Amino acid sequence: MALINIASHEIHCKIVYYGIGYCGKTTNLQYVHKSINPSARGEMLSIATETERTLFFDFLPLDLGTILGFRTRFHLYTVPGQILYERTRLAVLNGADGIVFVVDSQAERFEENAQSIAELETNMNRIGKDLHNFPFVIQWNKRDMPSALPVPLLERYLNRRGVPSFEAIASDGQGVFATLRAISKNVMAQL
Amino acid sequence: MEQLTNLIISDRELATISSLLIKLMGDTNATSALLIDKSGQVVAMQGTGVRRDATNLGALLAGVFSSSREVAKLLNEKDFRNIFQQGVQENIYTSMIEEQWLLVIIFDRLTHIGLVKVLSKKASEELGRILERVRSDTTRTKSSVINVQFRSSVEDTIDLLFRD
Repeated sequence: MALINIASHEIHCKIVYYGIGYCGKTTNLQYVHKSINPSARGEMLSIATETERTLFFDFLPLDLGTILGFRTRFHLYTVPGQILYERTRLAVLNGADGIVFVVDSQAERFEENAQSIAELETNMNRIGKDLHNFPFVIQWNKRDMPSALPVPLLERYLNRRGVPSFEAIASDGQGVFATLRAISKNVMAQL
Repeated sequence: MEQLTNLIISDRELATISSLLIKLMGDTNATSALLIDKSGQVVAMQGTGVRRDATNLGALLAGVFSSSREVAKLLNEKDFRNIFQQGVQENIYTSMIEEQWLLVIIFDRLTHIGLVKVLSKKASEELGRILERVRSDTTRTKSSVINVQFRSSVEDTIDLLFRD
């Protein structure tokens, strides 16, 4: 839920990157952190295990500056992707204003991706939201991998709603900002 | 009730919240008091120690609280309404307000947890009433902030800032 603070002239929105383990959620945030104007970003916070896997979430606050008198901020979060952290994903989803579903395009990950989208729908219902009427975009990540499935096939089976989707190679930044632009605009349009 | 996609806090309500936090700090001798949205965003804060780290603190405390509610469900408990984190120097007491906000009190050894608990509960009731007013005012006041001009300016800024 976005927060509009008239007294302090601030608007805050929460965007959550969701998807299976190793699909590139953290990589998306790291690229944004590395590439964006430093004055527009805060410190990136990662709660990870010793092996650098996300344990709870990554958090990156972005400051769009003052727009018509309102300081506008986006807070980007990732969820932990591993199956056993389902309850943690639910906890991080709480209060989200928009969701980016990051898909690992590799054929061997297809089934896990499909299960993860189904889980996301269930989790949204649990927090009283309907993914059909919610700012939601998909990123087809790892397009450079040899076993990456064709995008039309991914679209047909994983994007049945036809939400905006973007091809990406998050590790070198391709598609990262296109995805972020789309979800940010989508979130603002729903305010 | 219509599901709100945002909450708008007016000048008047923020002033009421701030004075309530100041009073709570004074009465409990706490070092800081914060009101956080369940999404992790800081609504209001008082006290000097946390100002610089408030954004991170908000995200982490909301995450901890949200996570503990999932733990409660696994134990077939409806939820945990409060969390107490005890440190050597500083302690944090967090309580939930109407499924939407978190009241966070940070205090040191000079304060007793019992006092914080009782006064937090009283303050939570008052904050619950404020939240109710904020919810009912939100739909009415939204158009004064989020208008066509604002939306178009935000889009321009997004294009400018989030570019390859």
